[in-house]
Amino acid sequence: MSIRECALQSKAFTALMEVYKHREKVARAWRADGKKVIGEMGCDVPDEFLIAAGMLPIHVYADPEKPLKETDTYLEYAFDPIVRAQFEKIVDGTYERLIDALAISNSTDVVIRIYLYLRELHRVEPEKPVPPVEFIDWLFTRNRMHQVRNELTLDIFRKAVEQWAGHPITDEQIIEAAKICNADRQALREMGELRHGEEVRINGSEALVIIGSAFFMEREAHTELVKQVVEDARQWPVLTGPRVFYTGSNQEDTTLYDMIEEKGMVIVGEDHDWGDRYYDRDYNLDYAPIRAVVDRYMLREFSSKKAFVSQRVDALNRLVDKTGADAVIFYTNLYEEAASWDYPSQKKSLEERGIKTAAFHKMAWPLQHNADLEKKLAAFAGELKGGVSNG
Amino acid sequence: MADMKQTPGSKSSVVKKLKATAEASAYQKEWFAGLKKRVEAGEDFGYLNADVPMEVLRAMDIPFVVNQWWAAICGAKRMTKKYFGLLRDAGYRDDLCSYCATAFAESLDPDDHKVDADGKPLGPWGGLPDPTLAITRLTCDCQSKIFELFAKNHGADFYAMENTVARKVPLKWFDMAADDWENLYDTDRIDAAVEELKELIRFLEMKTGKMFDINKLEHVMNLINEQESWYKKTRDLIASCHPVPVTVVDTINAVMQAQWQRGTQWATDHAKGLYEEIKELADKGEAAVPNEKYRLMWIGRGIWHDFGFYQRFEQKYGAVFMWSMYLAMGADAYIRNHVEKDPLRALAARYIGMEDFLHMPPWNSQWYLQQAVQNDIDGVVYMVPENCMQAVEGSYFIKKTLEDAGIPVLIFKADPVDPRKWNADTMTGLVEAFIEQRVIPKSGS
Repeated sequence: MSIRECALQSKAFTALMEVYKHREKVARAWRADGKKVIGEMGCDVPDEFLIAAGMLPIHVYADPEKPLKETDTYLEYAFDPIVRAQFEKIVDGTYERLIDALAISNSTDVVIRIYLYLRELHRVEPEKPVPPVEFIDWLFTRNRMHQVRNELTLDIFRKAVEQWAGHPITDEQIIEAAKICNADRQALREMGELRHGEEVRINGSEALVIIGSAFFMEREAHTELVKQVVEDARQWPVLTGPRVFYTGSNQEDTTLYDMIEEKGMVIVGEDHDWGDRYYDRDYNLDYAPIRAVVDRYMLREFSSKKAFVSQRVDALNRLVDKTGADAVIFYTNLYEEAASWDYPSQKKSLEERGIKTAAFHKMAWPLQHNADLEKKLAAFAGELKGGVSNG
Repeated sequence: MADMKQTPGSKSSVVKKLKATAEASAYQKEWFAGLKKRVEAGEDFGYLNADVPMEVLRAMDIPFVVNQWWAAICGAKRMTKKYFGLLRDAGYRDDLCSYCATAFAESLDPDDHKVDADGKPLGPWGGLPDPTLAITRLTCDCQSKIFELFAKNHGADFYAMENTVARKVPLKWFDMAADDWENLYDTDRIDAAVEELKELIRFLEMKTGKMFDINKLEHVMNLINEQESWYKKTRDLIASCHPVPVTVVDTINAVMQAQWQRGTQWATDHAKGLYEEIKELADKGEAAVPNEKYRLMWIGRGIWHDFGFYQRFEQKYGAVFMWSMYLAMGADAYIRNHVEKDPLRALAARYIGMEDFLHMPPWNSQWYLQQAVQNDIDGVVYMVPENCMQAVEGSYFIKKTLEDAGIPVLIFKADPVDPRKWNADTMTGLVEAFIEQRVIPKSGS
């Protein structure tokens, strides 16, 4: 199924698609105008600070075509393949030409290691074209002590952003940036209703484009385009087929979703950082700025990396209920291990509730290297079509 | 007193030389039997990851077992194959996190506390008693998940402590750790760690009904300082001996077993006895390997399922594994003087550093270099674990730091507790080729 003709006829959608396909275009224009661009690694870099400082946040992403010459030198084999490919672009100079600095959040072990390695590279091989790096040492276990610690951490990050910007950021600027981010999240939530409401009018691949384009463009422009897409999508044909929830590795492009949906399944939601999780939870405008940023990033829906098994079981059940999914696809890349410990408990809980599951572990990336993936997805689709809907 | 043991399934024998090693082995069995009795009598029992500040439980007299020590026991008892089969049967992957998942896998074993027809226990040492507390730190994405699953299977309360990342990167932490620890770390990190300790204490008090006593902690901390000071003397003594009187086969077991008993009078006395025994050997001019020619450094966790591996290069090459982190960490990483000012803060300044020292360049790379120089190392064999993200620690930077200083490094992948992935002949061949092609030519012999 992938991206449908109805979507391609929407001017707003094609504008988002253009950004999604040509991810450097806006950033280059910003830098050409003398404005600053900040790269982000990890899903918990607070955009609110960067936007408040007048900078453009963009996500670091992997290039599946690029040989991993630098990566093979510096990284052990146990880093997951997407992070390996992202690292290559940081160390080979690709990002030095595109961003002014790199912000890395403590969202998973792997990116913590990337931060430590980049910091050490700056020290021992300063000639390497690696941009300045700042680390945000979030604590994600939910208690008051860690909330207070996170406020200190965010204060440190705010100062780093001010240094990059060359000027202080006021609380008012942060609040204004938060309003911009909240508006974007609200627009995406309205888009989400068209994914997992009673009638599904936006498929998973289309949703990835709509969400993921936010990572590479001005947020207000993104919001306006999303709103327009939502209006257009209300007229798009209703999708039929088994409703599937996706959990697992980040999908930075639509290839896997295309493959799943071409088998007749419809992805109505996901819990990874390039999908629905991105727009979960708003900045609370009633709170003081630092507190509000901590609240937003610390208390979002649990990630697969920084949550206990019991939390992940409950989270997945919640999301499956919310999206009305009939089935769940578990998909984790090779060396992306944390979610593997959640899987048996999640599977058991889902199946007790009548939700079917299919699991794909230790997957190669890019996914074309998984020879029998299409066949297995087709078999699962067949099983679902013959089965009972959760609807 | 030489003690020769054949590891089941292994092609080689392990020759253990020291009384202290044998005493430590005997003591831990006796201690474990006593612990089981206390648990059977209804006392709370903690299961801790190695980086948890166990000093708090020691001061509160709460019996506990350390995860890595128990995994090593299970590995040495060749239980891994069975346990990882149980994991697979329960729907888990059997190729992940072997060091941390061994005890969870054991908790799936219905035979763990049973005996065979001859009355021999089926579980290692009769199996792990059911903990009532499972405590870990969040130093890796998987560890908390595994501990929570482990706790659930045993009906224990699960408790997790957070971890912070160092912003300060002093190159010579080993010169600062004992006395200048306040300046070694970012102040806010120590502050946060003290708060974590207070929360842990509160949790333990509520759970066990025992009240924490700061004077007891001070006593425990002082005992530990004394114990680790003996390790420092021992490490310095071995480093200065040519040839060395003992190898890692003796020191790893002697130190690791006592390290998990740290804060007890037994452990302090044992460390003193270890030093005196080695000193006596050194004074007599005894050599662990009489034809010592090449001194090798082992970086990584011990190969618990094939300890004889370390001795396979002695006769043929005169190559002796004489350095491992187990003794040297005791020497450099644990001592925190000035405890009396604030025992909790001194403890905080101990436990937050373990992750930094071991798994973060340049803290680890600079230490390995300093140790290689002090110990006149000719070559480094560096085991990168097969399936542990926590132990991914900047191998490029470690190798570069050592090789830039003229010390050759061999890196290979292996698993410290899972013998399924270990081919003794292949691994021996790798090290032999390294000695022949890198170490011998470099030494000019």
